[in-house]
Amino acid sequence: MSHELIAVSMFLGMMALLMTGQRVFAGIGFVAVVAAVALWGDRGGHDLAFTSAIKLMNWFPMLTLPIFVWMGFVMSETRMADDLYRMFHVWFGPVPGGLAVGTILLMVLVSAMNGLSVAGLAIGATIALPEMLRRGYDKVMVTGIIQGGSSLGILVPPSIVLVLYAMIARQPVAHLWLAGVFPGLLMAGLFIVYVLVRCALNPRLAPRLPAGELARITWGERLGLLRAGVTPLVIFGAMMGPFVAGHVSLVESSVIGALIATLVAAAKRRWTRAIWETCLRGTLNVTCMFMWILLAALAFGAVFDGLGAVRAIEAFFLENLGLTRWQVVILMQVSFLLLGMFLDDTAMLVIVAPLYVPLVRALEFDLIWYGILYTITCQIAYVTPPFGYNLFLMRALAPDHVTLGDIYRSIVPIVGIMILTLAIVMAFPQIALWLPGQVYGQ
Amino acid sequence: MPALALGFVRGVEAVNRRVGRMALYLLFVLAGVLVWSVVAKAFFRPALWTQETAQFTMIAYVVLGGAYSLMGGAHVRMDLLYSRWSARTRGAVDCVTVLALIVFLAVILWGGIESTAYALEIGERSRTVWRPYMAPIKIVICAGTFLMLLQSVAFLIRDIALLRGTPIPEARP
Amino acid sequence: QGAPIRWRMQTYAGAALGEHVVKPAIDRFNAIAEGQMQIELFYADQLVPTSELFRAMQSGTIDAVQSDDDSMQSPTEVTVFGGYFPFASRYSLDVPVLFNQYGLKEIWDREYAAVGVKHISAGAWDPCHFATKDPVNTLADLEGKRVFTFPTAGRFLAQFGVVPVQLPWEDIQVALQTGELDGIAWSGITEDYTVGWADVTKYFLTNNISGAWIGHFFANADRWAAVPDRLKMLIEVCFEQSHYYRQWWYWGGEADLRVNGSKLQLTSIPDAEWATVEERARAFWDEIAAESEVKARVVEIFKKYNDTMAKAGRPYRYS
Ligand code: NA
Ligand code: NA
Repeated sequence: MSHELIAVSMFLGMMALLMTGQRVFAGIGFVAVVAAVALWGDRGGHDLAFTSAIKLMNWFPMLTLPIFVWMGFVMSETRMADDLYRMFHVWFGPVPGGLAVGTILLMVLVSAMNGLSVAGLAIGATIALPEMLRRGYDKVMVTGIIQGGSSLGILVPPSIVLVLYAMIARQPVAHLWLAGVFPGLLMAGLFIVYVLVRCALNPRLAPRLPAGELARITWGERLGLLRAGVTPLVIFGAMMGPFVAGHVSLVESSVIGALIATLVAAAKRRWTRAIWETCLRGTLNVTCMFMWILLAALAFGAVFDGLGAVRAIEAFFLENLGLTRWQVVILMQVSFLLLGMFLDDTAMLVIVAPLYVPLVRALEFDLIWYGILYTITCQIAYVTPPFGYNLFLMRALAPDHVTLGDIYRSIVPIVGIMILTLAIVMAFPQIALWLPGQVYGQ
Repeated sequence: MPALALGFVRGVEAVNRRVGRMALYLLFVLAGVLVWSVVAKAFFRPALWTQETAQFTMIAYVVLGGAYSLMGGAHVRMDLLYSRWSARTRGAVDCVTVLALIVFLAVILWGGIESTAYALEIGERSRTVWRPYMAPIKIVICAGTFLMLLQSVAFLIRDIALLRGTPIPEARP
Repeated sequence: QGAPIRWRMQTYAGAALGEHVVKPAIDRFNAIAEGQMQIELFYADQLVPTSELFRAMQSGTIDAVQSDDDSMQSPTEVTVFGGYFPFASRYSLDVPVLFNQYGLKEIWDREYAAVGVKHISAGAWDPCHFATKDPVNTLADLEGKRVFTFPTAGRFLAQFGVVPVQLPWEDIQVALQTGELDGIAWSGITEDYTVGWADVTKYFLTNNISGAWIGHFFANADRWAAVPDRLKMLIEVCFEQSHYYRQWWYWGGEADLRVNGSKLQLTSIPDAEWATVEERARAFWDEIAAESEVKARVVEIFKKYNDTMAKAGRPYRYS
């Protein structure tokens, strides 16, 4: 079998199997082991799946995964963000579209405390969304910004997606995380501009709060509410401070954050038996889901690489197509956007791993910068139908009068802003690379 | 369904539930080890054993909790078509595609058993200064994979029962 | 003429280093073999993790390997001598002499044949120096330093208060930046510059604990047997060429970067003080020799060789 044929059949086989609705990790892993056993050579190859488990075990930043997942569950289940939401509500309420702006800021803070978008979405859909709907905010606009805002969880550090990318691309996690800060803030800023502009043009999208309501809240109360903002700052500071200063490792810093979040919830007397059970089981489930997809992806990558498929693809892109390096990168992003409609981000990594990372390296682009581009395409994948985590979650959590059609329409401008951010970061890599350069002096 | 098949499903799921419930708490073992690592570094000498112990705990968490997470339906599917099918159609398709799951797990186990036998035979140790033996964690990975394999077969039996019009009732979560 | 033979070879080196220490030889082999045989090169952990590398070669998943014995934990009596065995060699030329003239080659061949692996050849890499963030001028400066190093070297250095730390190779640079590591005792100055560690450390200690790393090319024994003799010879010649490339690349690089490199400042522990480390190494040798007959043989050869070199005087040994 030629290398090109192996590449195409492994890839198509995987896609076909995934379309049957079988578990994603099983589809990826099956194609990997069948190809390994059938095509590797006269013997050997069958142990690549097990050695992938060892690879996964050896990679210690992966230890942050269950810790951050736990933190996300603690935050959303114990309703730690309630006070935060109230703070933004009161402080931004008077601005046209203020509650929506406050929600975006809430999403940024929640993103700074956890590594996935799930917690942000759960908080946004259960706390912010009903409140904004009650106030007559436009349902399409607000469901959109909650889905978009919560996806910042994977771009603003800490980020589990960047940990996974770091493993596949063999890049330092700390650099990647710092590289995500400004693109994340940029995207949040663009969301805010979008809300303010739309609400200025059409005030009916976001009715102002009645003057009497705000007047009833004293300045003392308002200042008191600012204390709610202290918790995330303490968690973020306690987590990132010692890590960036070099006192603790990445993994250790995640435990500090999780410990503080757990204790804060205890201090607020939010722990019940049911919440405890939800957090425990949820953490195991999400961790297992990620780890098993990753294990399958590592096996797939090793087999794909060992069978020569990577070299075939590389030669195809670089020699046969005769494109410039920028054309190749743009083509890769476009293909990502298309794949992202159908695949989840970890499954997308299966494609990143064997194909794109060596290609990016061969083209002499910065792999840290590329990790940020990849993460933004993951964010887009979260909100694009037919397969998007945030769409599923929103469908499950939103009140009934928010229809599936509303949810799909809501993401159109959001995807536009995300693509704009992607283009800006592509054109100006320093937005991503400046901060890690400053901190780690390169 | 034959009593033997029913017994198999009930037995496997009971074992996997119990193992999974225990695996849940490995999260705190992991956190404890990492907290000690911070404390030791800050106040004593950096501990030599914490990093590997944490890694072993993590992989044990994922493989021993694997079957329980399968039972809990935690593993994502691309449900573009799947979500629109009837329960019966899903059962019929799963009946076939669950073989992908079974084959993947079986091949992991194949490599795992070989690697474990090798580790036992030569007394394989990790190459760190702490030098723990590698056989125990490899045995744990094999055991967890085996339990997941049994769970996949239980899924197959459940799907067959569904297609025959005698679905097996779900046990408590 | 049958189908072309296709080998997968994984090196323990990452891509940046592999560009020098192995890729040129493989490229030449493939060019000369003209399609009759093709060796595909994979870098550290690319197909299988280094900890499973030996097993993968034994089972046939990987056909050939470039590594030291210590890094891949091969199940032989000679594993401890691969990589950096403290003070076993002073110059990189010592390694081929030990293997080809003092009988190490036969011992290695026998040990590996017993576990289904063909030992193709041994070669030297760079010396083992400390690169650190704080200067090291006396032995006391080593106390409490968290250092990334080889397993056997770590065991030896622990008696001077060094805290050996194991991390995945790719994380070293960041661990130095974030302060998880105070330094490395892993390579010479050429490698420090090539892989970027010189960017994150400040000082280079000119004393070394070994003058040359011992590493090898191996192949799965059955796959080796299946290769026609003419191609076997070509493999051997090309791998020798790889050893030769490293001889001049490191030898020249070490001197040049000490003198002309701008990133690392040199420090030294006085010879008299460093002599105590060499003395402890002798005790360490005896400890290892007591573990088995084969190990005793190897230690005896090291002793005999170093004795001969000392007696030969300059330029072989200066003290
Ligand atoms: Na985050
Ligand atoms: Na999508």
